[in-house]
Amino acid sequence: MSDWKRIIIAVDDSPRSINAVEYVGSIAGHLSGVHLCLLHIYPEPPPDYYQSGATLDEYKMDQEERAKLLFARAKKILQAHGVAPQAITTRCRIAGAQSISAAILELQTQEEYGTIVVGKRGISKAEEFLFGSISNALIHNGRDIAVWVIG
Amino acid sequence: MAAYQTIAVLPETVARNLKEHRVTRSMRRPSRVYTDTTDFTSIDYGDVIAVEDRYFLITSYTKEGRFGVDEQIKPWVPKVVDLATMAHYILKLEFRETFAMRLGQFAVNCYRSPEKEARILELVQGRPHFMQGETLVDAVGNLVRVLEPVGGNRMDKVIHTGSSHRHYFFNELPAILDQFLGCLQAIAFLHGNGFRHGDIRRDHVFVDRNTGLFYWIDFDYDFYLPEKPFALDLFELGNILIYLTGRGDYHPREILADPAMGDPVVRSLSAADFSLLARNRVVNLQKLFPYIPDVLNNILLHFSAGADVFYETVEEIHADLRMALAQYPRETAR
Repeated sequence: MSDWKRIIIAVDDSPRSINAVEYVGSIAGHLSGVHLCLLHIYPEPPPDYYQSGATLDEYKMDQEERAKLLFARAKKILQAHGVAPQAITTRCRIAGAQSISAAILELQTQEEYGTIVVGKRGISKAEEFLFGSISNALIHNGRDIAVWVIG
Repeated sequence: MAAYQTIAVLPETVARNLKEHRVTRSMRRPSRVYTDTTDFTSIDYGDVIAVEDRYFLITSYTKEGRFGVDEQIKPWVPKVVDLATMAHYILKLEFRETFAMRLGQFAVNCYRSPEKEARILELVQGRPHFMQGETLVDAVGNLVRVLEPVGGNRMDKVIHTGSSHRHYFFNELPAILDQFLGCLQAIAFLHGNGFRHGDIRRDHVFVDRNTGLFYWIDFDYDFYLPEKPFALDLFELGNILIYLTGRGDYHPREILADPAMGDPVVRSLSAADFSLLARNRVVNLQKLFPYIPDVLNNILLHFSAGADVFYETVEEIHADLRMALAQYPRETAR
């Protein structure tokens, strides 16, 4: 099992994502040897995105600008809990041809993180079937890691 | 108004075939020749679409009706004859649209993508269970898909033979499901190559008149579900399987109208017996037709509101359906 203190916090612009950051901060602020990775994975653009003449590079730049704001807010929360700035890194990636959950797990495997933290949306069965549940996918597909789902 | 040329630009053989064609002979105006198909509403019956040195005379238009809506002409999908070979084709001209498709209480963003259909046509060239065709590019870069016309009928029409459901279930459905296995494999092939069908409907499966082979048509729709990219295809495959098994869709009104079922069957249904997304469509068909075995009915229940486990891939449905066919019951005397 990978080091559980190497923690990915998957962030987006939802309130539940902020809850997850707050929760991790409240624990990590009291621990030593913790490394936190704020990770924002965004999906490929919708199929009609390119019709207006926009490019993938423009889409990525826009997403990365948004991610910077997310990261700044999350860092502020973590540091307010006492997490050292040097213990926090940020990553922003496009999911590419895979799902967001698969992209999170890919980074987790590549960089040997032991814990993934995500917010919980609280969706119906029908929504889960159609739109998917990132937290459920992480729980089902994650290997040798801890997955914290924050409601 | 789209720019066009006169028939003087046509090669000699093509011009002769055009002049002798029944469509041209019945027209009061000369045909126009279009190399730019952008404004397809200006291109009309009797006109010629010239693309990549091929010349297609428009002889009629395809129509589409959907579940109670009157059939409407699709001006971007003309039926044509190739004026060099006199072979018949269906053209699909570039038409883009984006819309939100309602699925119960949810909306899914859908797109019509000529590029996607062009890529799939290339991918499935020569493969069974797929409509065949090629893509040409017009003078301004529009993708013109040249489709081989359908030599058969819609699957959902073919299965209605007039027999009782019991007779259908024991004697006709096994062969239908066997063909449907091929359709599932075809969709698995698309998914394996990163494509969705995008518009899986029971009227998008045709039965080849000569071979009896089932095949998919219409690949230009796409949808945007980043975390579950194939979920809508899977759900619609389930809907087709439910339709095939019941030989129709069953809502409480159809059950009440059937003297063999009626009120007792409706009262036996619980919320869990209905569709996950279409909450008035019965999925637990075993309650309507008790001779449907568990092994088949359990596949259907994966698409019900009572499901706790969903199919993640087409291969999973295929494996379960193959097992259900291997254990298919024989009719016993009543």
